[in-house]
Amino acid sequence: MTDLSQELIARLVEALGPQKVLTSLEDRIAYSYDGTFAQNLPDLAVLPESTEEVAAVVAIAAERRVPVVPRGMASGLAAASIPFSGGIALSLTRMNRVLELDEVNRTVRVEAGIITADLQAYVEARGLFYPPDPSSNKHSTIGGNIACNAGGPRCLKYGVTGDYVMGLTVVLPDGRVLQTGGKAIKNVVGYDLTSLFVGSEGTLGVITEALLRLVALPRFANTARAEFPSLEDASRTVNAILGAGIVPATLELMDETAIACIEEAMRLGLPLDIEAMLIIEADGSDEEVVEREIAAIARICRENGARQVNVATDEKERAALWRARRSVSPSLARKAPNKLGEDITVPRSAIPEAIRRIKAISTRYGLPIVIFGHAGDGNLHPNILFDRQDPLQWEKVEAMASEIFDAALALGGTLSGEHGVGTLKQPYMERALGALSIEIQRRIKQALDPLNVMNPGKVLP
Amino acid sequence: MQTSTDEYRRCIRCGLCLSVCPLYRLTLNETNSPRSRVALLRAVREGLLEQPTGDTAAQFYRCLLCSSCTFVCPSGVTVDRLVELTRGEMVHLGLQPQPLTALGERIQQSHNISADPNENRLLWTSNLPNPPSGLGKTQAEVVYFVGCVGSLFPRSYSIPQSFVQVLERAGVDYALLGDQEWCCGYPLAISGDTEGARETIRHNVEAVRAVGAKTLVTTCPSCFHFWKHAYAAALGEELGFAVQHTTEFIADLLEAGRLPLRADLPPQTVTYHDPCDLGRKSEVFEAPRRILAHLPGVTVVEMAENRGGSHCCGGGGNLESFDPELSKEIAVRRIRQAGETGAQTLVSACQQCERTLAGAARNERLRLRVKDITEMVLEAIEPG
Repeated sequence: MTDLSQELIARLVEALGPQKVLTSLEDRIAYSYDGTFAQNLPDLAVLPESTEEVAAVVAIAAERRVPVVPRGMASGLAAASIPFSGGIALSLTRMNRVLELDEVNRTVRVEAGIITADLQAYVEARGLFYPPDPSSNKHSTIGGNIACNAGGPRCLKYGVTGDYVMGLTVVLPDGRVLQTGGKAIKNVVGYDLTSLFVGSEGTLGVITEALLRLVALPRFANTARAEFPSLEDASRTVNAILGAGIVPATLELMDETAIACIEEAMRLGLPLDIEAMLIIEADGSDEEVVEREIAAIARICRENGARQVNVATDEKERAALWRARRSVSPSLARKAPNKLGEDITVPRSAIPEAIRRIKAISTRYGLPIVIFGHAGDGNLHPNILFDRQDPLQWEKVEAMASEIFDAALALGGTLSGEHGVGTLKQPYMERALGALSIEIQRRIKQALDPLNVMNPGKVLP
Repeated sequence: MQTSTDEYRRCIRCGLCLSVCPLYRLTLNETNSPRSRVALLRAVREGLLEQPTGDTAAQFYRCLLCSSCTFVCPSGVTVDRLVELTRGEMVHLGLQPQPLTALGERIQQSHNISADPNENRLLWTSNLPNPPSGLGKTQAEVVYFVGCVGSLFPRSYSIPQSFVQVLERAGVDYALLGDQEWCCGYPLAISGDTEGARETIRHNVEAVRAVGAKTLVTTCPSCFHFWKHAYAAALGEELGFAVQHTTEFIADLLEAGRLPLRADLPPQTVTYHDPCDLGRKSEVFEAPRRILAHLPGVTVVEMAENRGGSHCCGGGGNLESFDPELSKEIAVRRIRQAGETGAQTLVSACQQCERTLAGAARNERLRLRVKDITEMVLEAIEPG
């Protein structure tokens, strides 16, 4: 280890105490990866427990030009929290307290490291609701959700993570602490810095606290599952439901590749002779309205070519209808050693065309792609299945991903709806946004982090 | 049980295991997570970590082997089994912590974990009101395999004492093996001593076969799990008799009406703690609940984390001999969950869970009785 790192460790230990500074190779390995297959060792990891401790770490690092890579539970799917330039892996997981619940204004102030599902359980016990529901909600933190502007099935009706962030506490790349936003709903004074940090993937500062908006907990929900011999009809149905003025809480689509994959792994008895399945949930505080909506949804499905529509009559049936959708990930994991889960979005009307193009890519390269997603907002998750041990397959996967992105862009969509850019989507950023947008974003980064110590090498190409 | 350590390749690093790992949830440090143990194994295999040290080994001993991670893993990685296999490899590298090496040596010398002479396995029978009918029996329908802890640690005597009284009351034809019972072999198997484990397995199976038993019953979930999942594979042949845990055996007795129940018991609220080796690892979730449903006056309230999602008592994986403080903190987490139910009694079906949770209840000053389910059953049946 160099003199600089010895001196750095000494300063960090002085600021945090020895228990919160991890330097062994075993520790560094533990902080070298995220939910992708990428990996790189940090020089050390720290476990601060307050905004002050985070600020101290960042100041010490900035003074020495050492990179700081913030992370929550490292379940991200874009390699955004991997310390590719070494430096300090800064874990926020120990900052997991609820600081204030304001039931009158319906806000909650939390530390960034609270697990999203824990926050949800906390507010739901009090009749309140934090809707964004990334499928990682049990193993991701609010800070990470904000830094990647996470989505989830419920975002069709309720909006994404960023729609719930009213204010942030951010440790800037020089160690100063910035407060943004507040409890006032209307606030147009100056640039919207809160939104600037939402989705910034730790490149502009470390989010340490968040003030979140809550809504009333919907007391009733019901689910329908519809089977479509034709994908086109399923897509038409999505537009017909929304066109009828119904906004379901979720509107999930699985195409025939996903149905076949789940059936192979789980044997749930799903039909294999249909092109698509929709799982639709209505929720609200009035049971009659919810039941009326789900009945209308079932009718619209039938009118638009659904062969079979099942509506749950109780909680048990509801869980059974969801089981297929929830089995997607485990089924994928059992089907191939590796998967690359993409996250493109397209305008809703372009879903059938997007799926056709993705299937053509799969046929051309000879590797399976399983397609499912949030049909209501045009967010598709094509998962390429492969074996990373085989270098030829890996080459193909990279080319396939690039073609999937091209297809999304050609249809008026974009690279990522909820996973973020990290490093995995960097090569395609300019194609998606154009040179001017990239230049402006570079200047923003330069203004906030002139020393380039905050999660360097991420997002911007 | 035929897992190979190559299974690490199947980990997709999603991180779901972090949400259920008691050690991660306590320390909020990725180093103490199942995902990191798999990553460490990968690093050793693929050369990122060339020379494993005591620090490397520590990551595999700082694990409860509770199987929570394996239970939720979408890729089907049996992380607990990987940790066991890696512990075996650490032995060959000379990196096994001393207390565990000493444990293996004790078992080799005395055929039990305590280093007592193996004849002492029946001391617990000496202060029963009547000597158990299973003593010295050479032929019987059922063998009761007591396990080292119940046999040799006075703190846990009441578990076998209660169970044999239940057997007597139901008129079961059973035998105790006494000094012919050897350690089940599980501690040897997870210390990489495959040969030692096989020898003890062979001996125990022969001893049970000699009695002509149709059923082997254990009170210890770890013995049960090892008998049920490793014995036949290690022998390379069927055992020729059934293996049951006491909870399954007693539930059948109750439902067959073979245990007359008292009518005069005061009502009480009970919560049940699923032992890892019995629940998640052997999928016996309902039998103990069937028993409790039969007992007069008992109302069961579940803890927030139950059945497959049960939180380890802290006593798993020999963590206690490696990091006793950590083990205690895990136990406190669990006892608080039990306290939150408002139950008066916490029941488990494992001598280890009973001991660690009773200790935690005392330290937390909770007004909560901690009992084994065999003790509950004995209290609820008419005296003979």
